[in-house]
Amino acid sequence: MIKVKNLHKYYGDYHLFKGINLNIQKGEVVVFIGPSGSGKSTFLRCINGLEYFQEGEIAVNDIELHSINRLRPSKEDLETIRKVRLKVGMVFQQFNLFPHMTVMENIIEAPTRVLNINKSEAVENALSLLRRINIEKKANSYPDELSGGEQQRVAIARALAMKPAAMLFDEPTSSLDPEMVGEVLSVIKDLVEEGMTTLIATHEMGFAKEVADRVVVFDKGDIIEIGTPEEIFTSPKTERTKTFLSRVLK
Amino acid sequence: MKKFLKIFSFIICLSALFYWIIPSQSNSSTIEKIKKRGYLLWGSDTEGGAPYVFPDPKDPSKLIGFEVDLSEAIARELGVKAKQAQNAWDSLIPALKRGDFDIVMNGIEITPQRQAEVLFSLPYYIYTEQLVVRKEETEIKNINDLKGKKVGTLSGAVAQDILTNLGGVDVRIYSGQVEPYEDLALGRLDAVLLDLPIAAYYAKPNPKLKYTGNPVGEGFYGIAIRKGDDELKKKIDEILIKLLKSGEIKKIYEKWDMWNETQEKLFKVAKKSKDYVTLEETKKAPIYTFFPNLLKGAGITILISVSSMALAIVLGLIITILRLYSRPPFSTAATAYIEIYRGTPLLIQLYILYYGLPNIGISLSPLLAAFIGLGMNYAAYEAELYRAGINAVPKGQMEAALSLGMTQSLAIKRIIMPQAVRIALPGVTNDFIALFKDSSLVSVIAMVELTKTYSILAATTLRFFELGLIVAFLYFAMSYPLSLLARKLEERLRVSKK
Ligand SMILES: Nc1ncnc2c1ncn2[C@@H]1O[C@H](COP(=O)(O)OP(=O)(O)O)[C@@H](O)[C@H]1O
Ligand SMILES: [Mg+2]
Repeated sequence: MIKVKNLHKYYGDYHLFKGINLNIQKGEVVVFIGPSGSGKSTFLRCINGLEYFQEGEIAVNDIELHSINRLRPSKEDLETIRKVRLKVGMVFQQFNLFPHMTVMENIIEAPTRVLNINKSEAVENALSLLRRINIEKKANSYPDELSGGEQQRVAIARALAMKPAAMLFDEPTSSLDPEMVGEVLSVIKDLVEEGMTTLIATHEMGFAKEVADRVVVFDKGDIIEIGTPEEIFTSPKTERTKTFLSRVLK
Repeated sequence: MKKFLKIFSFIICLSALFYWIIPSQSNSSTIEKIKKRGYLLWGSDTEGGAPYVFPDPKDPSKLIGFEVDLSEAIARELGVKAKQAQNAWDSLIPALKRGDFDIVMNGIEITPQRQAEVLFSLPYYIYTEQLVVRKEETEIKNINDLKGKKVGTLSGAVAQDILTNLGGVDVRIYSGQVEPYEDLALGRLDAVLLDLPIAAYYAKPNPKLKYTGNPVGEGFYGIAIRKGDDELKKKIDEILIKLLKSGEIKKIYEKWDMWNETQEKLFKVAKKSKDYVTLEETKKAPIYTFFPNLLKGAGITILISVSSMALAIVLGLIITILRLYSRPPFSTAATAYIEIYRGTPLLIQLYILYYGLPNIGISLSPLLAAFIGLGMNYAAYEAELYRAGINAVPKGQMEAALSLGMTQSLAIKRIIMPQAVRIALPGVTNDFIALFKDSSLVSVIAMVELTKTYSILAATTLRFFELGLIVAFLYFAMSYPLSLLARKLEERLRVSKK
């Protein structure tokens, strides 16, 4: 469903991705691990067009993103990126809820303004999402009245309200106090169990083991290993994976 | 946001309304301009000739005439010199209104039509129309004998109306005052009806011509002053009365053989006039007599400040969005706008708008120039505030909005701007309060707002202290509620609520 072919990405002179390939099937759950700065976020952000890349192709369903290295993309390019974003929801490490809107307004903003769903239907849908993540009572609160865990759950609900075909999570629990990590992961787990195509960058190795169909190990902009959780966590093939795992799993 | 827009559109409508209601105040500052300049500029037509104002036959570089004498006396009383400005007689009034000179004194008869256009001083001469015929004429004894006759007169003069109203007169219109008498002497005309001073100078000495009948159509010559220059009118009236009482006016008229009993009526007219107050009276007047003027000034200050702030807020927003989110040349133009407006003095911008644009054919009313001038200047500062506000919104906000499929413009409108405006709000309010005070700068383009009203009133009454306190209080009364309102708004619009 998501095909990445020969992806090259530069940050200025820094050649981060030197031709990455990866195919992800519908309903598959792929977890990205690797040291900080290895390119996990950049990879996810390339998929939904938050970062431009200089060479290669990314296709989501049948929508193809070609390499876009121009400073000012054309209208058609922007429209293509937007179509991809409508298919792919994204959850950020920093939640990025809109602070001037209530929880409800955060969730219905894009459905009503982008998809032109009428308001009562959007509210209905939002309420059922809030029920799923167990914070329907906070519908009229503002983001800074919520705990970090609640905010991240709302951010997930906000992305789901657009009915995406796939979800990208970029270290969704890294900004959370430890006691709140569980509630967010359990929401993601529910989602995975419902069959959502899911891409997660995370440092939660236990969670990775539990939900992943495949684990992708990044290092210095390269994919150094791909495999099932058993393969990666019990018998890693490369030295670099071993060193990385030994550092995070001690 | 909607409420904001509503308030702004209301303010703009209100401003537009005021713009029509309050007549664009020309200026009461003419009197100050005269003093600064050092001379009184009076418009007249030397071609119109004697005895009003004309080149001295003995030394044509010098102007003489009873109006020259009178203007010098008036200027002397104002503490300045007199300077004549040449202008065709027909267009003296339009030129005065345009601001080419301070006053017009050139045998301008006080008529209701003219009073609709300009102010008039107390009359300085009572003219009559004198019928002149050839020496050998016997048939024409007074104006009732003019039916079917060829009668000469001046274009635009009261005599022309008299002749036309008689009916059946063959009226011949001249633009100079020498020619009708010449044509009369040559037999091309049967009679000439013109103001007595003209007849006295041109016809009386001519052996071929004579007066016939009594003078008709008594009327007044007045000094024309621009509407709005009430200050100047008062001053000139005071001076005329003084000159009348001192006998100086009589002396001037006797010199030009223009004095007659009719002129005694000038004293009566002067006494009857109520619409002028002496300096002594204003010094003693209870302070509340100045309230209407001060309140009007305050009203204009509010009008200018509120409307130009509304302009600045909206224009600043447009400039910011162009600067941050559009492509060259628009983004460059927006940046240039900000740099140019912040890099040049507001005063120069106002001068260029008001005095400079007319050079290329665009003439703005003082109020419009003040509105645009202040609004465009402050727009540059608001734009910078918004930019700072936008930059203070975390990058993740735009990314989150885009990742939800919003277009950039929708994200700016719904997610970025509402937060940026809240961040910028304290700065904008500060600017608004500053604008209230800066609005006094627009007095240089002939707007009489509160500060200007104060300086005018204080200069004429010398009551700087009391008036100053009142004006300071008025400013405070305007800006303090604004501070309160701003604090409330900030409270309501806080980005994060707790
Ligand atoms: N906006 C950027 N400009 C320049 N370099 C960047 C930028 N974003 C990321 N990088 C660099 O790209 C590399 C990959 O970063 P990132 O994708 O954030 O890694 P990860 O998410 O795995 O920690 C890092 O070396 C980082 O310094
Ligand atoms: Mg990262």
